[in-house]
Order: sequence, then structure tokens, then C-alpha cells
Amino acid sequence: MKYALSILIFLPLAGAVILGFIRGNDRWVRWSALGLSVANFLLSVAVLFAFNTATHEMQFVERYPWAPSFNIEFAVGVDGISILLVLLTTLLCPICVLASWTAITSRVKEFMIAILVMEAAMIGTFVALDFILFFVFWEAMLIPMYLIIGVWGGPNRIYSAIKFFLYTLAGSLLLLVAIIVLYFAGGHTFNIQSLMGQSYSATVQFWVFWAFFIAFAIKIPMFPLHTWLPDAHVEAPAAGSIILAGILLKMGGYGFLRFCLPMVPQASLTFSPIIMTLSVVAILYGAYMALAQTDLKKLIAYSSVSHMGFVTLGIFVLNSRGVEGAILQMVNHGIVTGALFLAIGQFYDRTHSRLVEDFVGIAKPMPIYATLWVTFSFASFGFPGTNSFIGEFLVLVGAFERHLLLAAAATLGLILSAFYMLRIVRQALFGPVVKSLSTPLADLNIRELVAVIPLVALVFAIGLYPGPWLSVMHASVNHLLAQVGAAAPLQITDVLTLP
Amino acid sequence: MTEGFFLHPAAVFFLGAALLPWVRGRLRGVTLLLIPVLAGLALLAASPGVYGVYAFLGQELILGRVDALSRLFGVIFILMAFIGFVYGLHEKGKTGHCAAALIYVGGALGVVFSGDYISVFIFSEVMLFSSVFLIWLQRDAASLAAGFRYILMHLFGGVCLLGGVVIQLVETGSTAFEPTAVNGIGPILILIGFLVNAAVPPLSAWLSDAYPEATVTGAVFLSAFTTKTAVYCLIRGFPGTEELVWLGAVMAIYGVVYAVLENDIRRLLAYHIISQVGFMVAAVGMGTELALNGASAHAFAHILYKGLLFMGAGAVIHMTGKRKLTELGGLYRSMPITLTLYMIGGFSISAFPLFSGFVSKSMVLAAAQESHLTTIWLMLMLASAGTFLHTGLKLPYYVFFGKDSGIRVSEPPANMLWAMGLAALLCVGIGVAPQTLYALLPYAVDYAPYTTHKVVGTLQILLFTALGFMLLLKQLDPEPKISLDTDWFYRKGARGLLWLAAHPIARADALLGEAYLTLILNPTERLVQWLWVFERRVIDGAVNGAASVTHAYAFRMRRIQSGQLQHYALAMVVGVSVFLVSLILF
Repeated sequence: MKYALSILIFLPLAGAVILGFIRGNDRWVRWSALGLSVANFLLSVAVLFAFNTATHEMQFVERYPWAPSFNIEFAVGVDGISILLVLLTTLLCPICVLASWTAITSRVKEFMIAILVMEAAMIGTFVALDFILFFVFWEAMLIPMYLIIGVWGGPNRIYSAIKFFLYTLAGSLLLLVAIIVLYFAGGHTFNIQSLMGQSYSATVQFWVFWAFFIAFAIKIPMFPLHTWLPDAHVEAPAAGSIILAGILLKMGGYGFLRFCLPMVPQASLTFSPIIMTLSVVAILYGAYMALAQTDLKKLIAYSSVSHMGFVTLGIFVLNSRGVEGAILQMVNHGIVTGALFLAIGQFYDRTHSRLVEDFVGIAKPMPIYATLWVTFSFASFGFPGTNSFIGEFLVLVGAFERHLLLAAAATLGLILSAFYMLRIVRQALFGPVVKSLSTPLADLNIRELVAVIPLVALVFAIGLYPGPWLSVMHASVNHLLAQVGAAAPLQITDVLTLP
Repeated sequence: MTEGFFLHPAAVFFLGAALLPWVRGRLRGVTLLLIPVLAGLALLAASPGVYGVYAFLGQELILGRVDALSRLFGVIFILMAFIGFVYGLHEKGKTGHCAAALIYVGGALGVVFSGDYISVFIFSEVMLFSSVFLIWLQRDAASLAAGFRYILMHLFGGVCLLGGVVIQLVETGSTAFEPTAVNGIGPILILIGFLVNAAVPPLSAWLSDAYPEATVTGAVFLSAFTTKTAVYCLIRGFPGTEELVWLGAVMAIYGVVYAVLENDIRRLLAYHIISQVGFMVAAVGMGTELALNGASAHAFAHILYKGLLFMGAGAVIHMTGKRKLTELGGLYRSMPITLTLYMIGGFSISAFPLFSGFVSKSMVLAAAQESHLTTIWLMLMLASAGTFLHTGLKLPYYVFFGKDSGIRVSEPPANMLWAMGLAALLCVGIGVAPQTLYALLPYAVDYAPYTTHKVVGTLQILLFTALGFMLLLKQLDPEPKISLDTDWFYRKGARGLLWLAAHPIARADALLGEAYLTLILNPTERLVQWLWVFERRVIDGAVNGAASVTHAYAFRMRRIQSGQLQHYALAMVVGVSVFLVSLILF
């Protein structure tokens, strides 16, 4: 288990390289991509079982010098904040392969390579302990995602792919500036743990915080930096949407927890009211936008803006319930939204439509599909017994501890999310079957069921037994909050005196 | 936590719902009836105590609190579920419908045995989302729309409850479902959540809106569980909250007044649910032992006779396909048994002596007198008279007697009659032997319903109401003959009253009923449209605008790269001179 994290990163990468050199038919490519990603998933499960929940220290740490003249290392490790996100990544990747089994017919090999490279980069981002290494992985994610949207996407794919690329790149540049500033201010090191807990000057904290904020807020995405997301989702193939909504958005939340809070705690504390307000705006605004949509993918994309608002709200209320709820909510959102995009993809495979108005009367021809859709819809708006209820409940408790009015406004978001999801559930179950569909709708086949069943299981596993999942993150969250809790708010006058 | 085994009755219902899709044919009916029987046995076997305590997010979830109050509501819910399933037996192949009803009842039982507010919230949500299917499964446009409004209203109530529970948890560190003082935003929100479910005006529009659109069997279930679960929650959480006395009395009158206008038989009955729940809410507000006993007993009796009335109305709708008073009439010839059973329900709700309503409602009235609430007592008496007028006289008159509609149908299927018969038997049984019900009540009962004073007083009011109905009957006739006679003023007076009811009051009702439309839904939709324009023009417009400006300038700048050496040389010279000049000048 000593090299587990390296293997998690390099196994899909090596697989991608080998796939590139081997000539085989598409069937063979699909099976090997599936095999690799499942193997990676099993390995990550082994890591979870070997994980010690009693400590907040990084575990499975590996350190190798990379560029010694700049103190850059290849350093990886996991703690309670990152381990569930790693697992989410390794879980969703085989599901993406399954979702593309028949949906992707051209350049299958290249597509699978892109997915595997993506997986390596995403895991790398979550486990990196060196800031430069983190940044490399962070940027590396953009390329396969750009290709997945731009090559295998819908009719308007070039516009969406470029928008996605430029938008996130703009955030990344600010992140790079922040990393370099911290390198000089923090004693010429890129070691993430050494950069935490230092007392940076107020000015440094101020600028680094806002650079972090913009970089991560674009990724999450927070209102008003969210417009790349709906466009990207609409054009991306199902697998792209699953990765995008399921994992990529979590990078922003992870960034706040890993870098923003522990490295610039004073600034985080000072500006948390602004971020909390923006989060609540995102919750309500995203929900209202979801109500206006006629395209299912856009609807779920805007609902992601709303749900991720709960995540940022939970992070910036800065108490243990809020933060634990936020981390759990990231995992929940990955599971549920991943499943919803998977389901939309399955519907699109059959009807070549994603319009809300066509999603009518599907319960008769596709009972299993409809049952699953109802399950995930309920999970999406936080029905008790499902995973999102636990996450949203914890975030709300944390929010009410911090600020009554903001929490009350966020609670209203719950009604709206039930509103837009139920609108679809109602017509899907009770509407008349659309006559324009020439072919009769077939229910899910075995492959499609295999892809979705782990997600259903997790919805209820987390919803009914939240304890074990929360205990994984407990020690790390408490340690994180102790780091922030010791900080005093910044004074505005400190910030305004430039060096 | 009490030692010993406790099979939660709700678990029986949930398991039954999970099993149901796998059971086919005749066996399904047997299974459906076996589930409430099993749950009933489980409840009878349970001794008082606290069972099923689970740690959940640092709080305790108490799923099985068995005491006199929870047992009383458990018994009646299970009993009503049994009657309801008998009533629905003739419907073949409606798995979804039966499963929804099972989960709905299970949710109600879950609330009843909950010992903490988080469990109450969870099971209320279960109730909400299963009950909406009893409406939606009617599968017509009206029921789809009504079901949606129903769910929105209850989501509002649910969110109030959730918010209140969370605030309560943050402020007191406890979520125990015990009598709660209304002294802060948390308890107020919890109370509002319960009041929505209890259909207290102005939060009541969902009830009269949705119940008439439900399926025939669905309406029978709906009439029994949601509002009575809320009454249970009020008894448990907010006994003696004074505001409830007035709210309850207003409710009692409100339901009766709006029933005046109704032509739809199930909507008329639905308004009377509001009125009857008003008695219970008022009693909870009084908070004395007699009042709380009265509220519990009245809930028990009400579930049976209201179920019976909805079953009767449902039988008529099932057989004739019509639901308007004006389209029905003269059915006494073809449906005499239905008429008889319906009338037992009618007498019960009107609180005739020897029927169940009498022994429970008089407790509430006595409690009002005991607490010296004369105005409240008067309001409740007035509501009583109105109840008899509408459910006991007007509805049966227009459906079963009155102008013959010419409809000739047979009695409903036997199972429907059996279900109604069972409910009717219980109504009469409780009326004749009230001690059986009193023995189940949460507090010791020292109360005798059958005193000369009470019986005579009640009969007087009921008979005067009947007399009034006969006199007014002429005016209620759809086509009154116009004759100028000495009774002109009298007629005009009655007409004036009717006009008042038909116009301003009807308008007020429409306003209230449509409030969610004018205040919530329409503005929401407008806001959504406006925000969508804002999103595309401003937020996304800024991004795309920046991109297209860059794009456009990039194309223009490209021309500078002309490829001619002279141009580059000129540019260099100009650049260097500008630099030098600025260096010298500044």
C-alpha cells in the first residue's frame, strides 16, 4: 500500500499510453478502458479501508525530489478531506466508460485515452502535496476535457469548448500568481503543508485570498462566474457531463478547503460573509434559472450551481457541521448529478432529444428507468433517507449557527429545487406518451443498469448510514477548523497599506 | 430506551409496500388486508415505553415512543387503513396506488410514534410525497395541477418545520418532541409547519383544492391521515397554546361557511374536514386534560365518520361518474344501502346522540365551558349547526332525494359496502358505548356524555336546524318561481343572504384559494423569465462580449503584421521616439 497513490495516478496514465500504441478494435479498447478504471476503483477502495480515521495527518505519503533547485517535489498524500473525493473520481470513471459504450462511435480509442488521462489528472489534483504538482495536474485536466467537449460534443461544441477552456484558464492564471506570491512570502517552498499556518502579512492574505477565490469560484462555479457550465454541459457527451458535474466542480470546493482556509485563514474569516452571501445568491439564482430551462442538461447544470451554493455556504460558515456537510454534499452531488446526467444520456441515446417537453410519459415503456429517475430526483432535492438530505441538513445546521437570515434564504432553495425536479417527475410519470417518437422506448439493458446501480446503492448507503462517512473526515475537519479558528479577522487598514 | 421487542407498525406498512409489486392476483387483496392486521397485532403487543433509539448526526432519533396518546392514534390509523383497503379491494392491478397508500399510512404511523422532531420531519416528508400520488393517479389535468399545488404548499410547511427544528437544535441543543413553549423563531416555525398540515386558514387552500381531485379511494385515505397527524403533533407539541383556541374556532366556522357554496360533493366534505379539525385545534389550545382528551377522541371519531362520508360520496361518484350536486338527485331508489350508511356518517358528524360525534364533540364543548370560553363555545355550536345543515341534510337531500336526475345505477361493489358498514358499525358502537373509546384516551376520563341537559340541548339545536332547512328548502331550489307575495321581504332576505354568500364570500374564497397563484406562482414565473433575460444579456453577455471584443480587435491588429520590412522599421522608429520624448518630458 506504500505506493498506492502513485499507482492510482499512473495506472490510468500508463493504460492510456499503451492504448495509444496498440491497434485493436473498438470493443477491445472499451473493455480494456473499463478494466483499468475498475482496477483503479478497487485499489482506491483498498486505500479507504487502510485509511486511519483517527488522525488528521496526511497518509500514504510519498515524496520524491522533482526540481530541487526550486524545492519542487513529487509529493502526494490523502487526508479526510480528499479521500472521499478520490473515491468519487475512481467510481465515476468506470461509469463514464460504460456511459460511452454505445454513445461514442467515432475515435473510440482516442476518447478512452482522454478519459483515462482525465482520471489520472483528477486523482493527482486531489492528492498533490506540492503546489506546483497540484497546478500541473489542475491544468492538465483542461486538455482532455477540452477535447472531450470539442471533438465528441454536440453541434455547438467549439464555442462551448473554447469558452470552458478560456474561462477556467483565466482562473488558473490567478491561481499561479497566488502560488508564486506564497512561494516568496512563505520561505521559498511549494510544500503545501509548510505553506499552511504561516502568518502572512495582511496585504499578502488579501490578494492571495481573492486570487484563490476567483480561481476556485470559476471552477465550482459560483454566481456570477458560472455561465461556462451550462454551455459546456449542453455540448458535452454524457461521459463529459458526468466528469464535469461529478468531479471537476468539486475541485473548486476542494481548493477552498485545502488552500484558501488553512493558508490565508484571516482573510477567509474576514471575507466569509461575502462568500456566504454569494453562496445563497447562487442557491436561489441557480434554482430560478433551472426553472427557466427547456433542455434537461441545462436544467441539471443550473441546479448544480444551486447545489454547489450549499457547498460553498457550508465551507464558509466555518464550523464543523457546515464543513462536514459541505464535503459530504460534494460527494452527494457527484453521485446524484452524475446519475442524472447518465440518465439523460440514456434517454438521449434512445430519442435523440434532451428537451424537457419530450421527457413525458416514460414510466409506461421504461418502468425501471422511471423508478431510477424518480429516486435520483428525490435524492437531488434532499428527500429524507437519501444522501443529499444529510449533506444539506448539516450545512443548514451550520448555517443557522452562523447567520439566521442567510440560512433561512438558503432553506427556501430547498422548495425551489423540489419544484423544478418534481415538474419533470410529474410529466415523466403521468404525462401522455409522446407520439412523435417513432421507435418504442426500450428499458435499461444490463450494461446501463450496472452503470447506475452503484450510484443508487450509495444514495441510500450515505442517506441511511451517514455516520461512517462523516467519521472519515472528522479528524481532518477539526484540525482544519482549529487552524482557521486561531485566526483574528483582518483589519481593513492593514490591507490598504501596500508594501 | 425500554428493553423488549417492538415491531414498529410503520415498518409493517413499508415492508408491505415493498412486497406488493411481487404479489399477484387474489393474493394481493389478502396481503393488503393482512398488513393492517399485522400492524395492529404488533401495536397491541407493544407495552408502553421508548423503543428504537438511533444516533443520527449527533442527535437521537426516537422511532418508537409508545404511550397512551400515540397508541390511540396508532389504533385509529391502522383501523382506518384496514377499512380503506377493504373499500379499494375492487380495484384490480393498481399496484402504484396501493403502494402509495401503504407508504402514506406508514408515514403517518411513523410520525405518531416519533419521539423527536427530526423523525417527525422525515416521516412527514414520506407522507407528503406518497400522498401526492393518491391525487396524481387520478390522471387528469385537474388532478395533476391540484397535486402540484398540494405539494408546493406542503413543501412550504415542510421547510418551515425543518427550519424550525434546526433553529431549535442550534439554540437548545435538543430536538425532543415534547410540549414546546412558543417563545422564539424556532418553535414558531415548527408550529407553522404543523398548522399547514392541519389546514388552518389561510394555509388551508390545499385541502379543499386537492382532495376532490384525488382518486375515489385516495380521497378516503387523504381525509383520514394528513390533518389528523397534524392534530396529533399539536397535541404532543403545543398543548395549551392560547392562539390555537381562536384559530380553531375560526376554522370551525370557516369550513362551514365555505361549504355553503359548494356544488362538488367531495369538496363540500373537504370543507367540513377543515371545520371539524377546527374543533380539535381549539381543544388543543385550551390545553386542559378534558380538552386534550376531547381533541384526541374527536380525532378518533372524526376519522371514522369522515372516512364513511368520503366512502359514501366516492361510491356515488364511482357508480354515476358525476360529482356535482346539481347533476345528482333521486338516488335513494337505486342506492338505499349507500344512503343508509352515508346517513350514519351524517348523523355522526352532526353529533346526534348515540352516534360517535356526540360523545367526542361534546367533550370539546364541555372543555370550552369549563374554561369559561363562552364566545368560543358559541362559535363551535354555530359550526355544529352548520355541519348538520350541509353534511346531514343538504348533501343527502340533493344526492339521494330532491329533483330526480333520472340516473339509475346499482349499489356499489360489495367490498365498498362492507367497508362502509364496518365504519358505520364503529360510529354507532362508539356512540352507544363511549367508554370503549374513553378507555383509550391519554388522560383518565371523568366525563359522562349522556346527561339530560346535554342530550336535550343538542337535540334542540339539531332539530331547529332541520326545521330551518325545510323552510329554506324552497329558496335553495334551483328554479324558484317568482311570485309577489307577502313573503317577498322574507324571500328577498334569504336571497340577499345567498347573494352575499355567492358573491363577496365566494370572491374572498377564490382570492384565498388562488393566493398561491397570484402571490407565489405567477411572480415566481415572472421573476424566472426576467432573471433568464438577465442571465443571457448581462452575466453571460459580459463574458461573450469580452470575447467578441477581443476577437474583433485581434482581427484588426492582425493587419499591422503586413509582412513589409519598411512598416516594421517605421513602427520601431516611432516607438523609440515616443519613448524618448516621454522620458525627457516626464
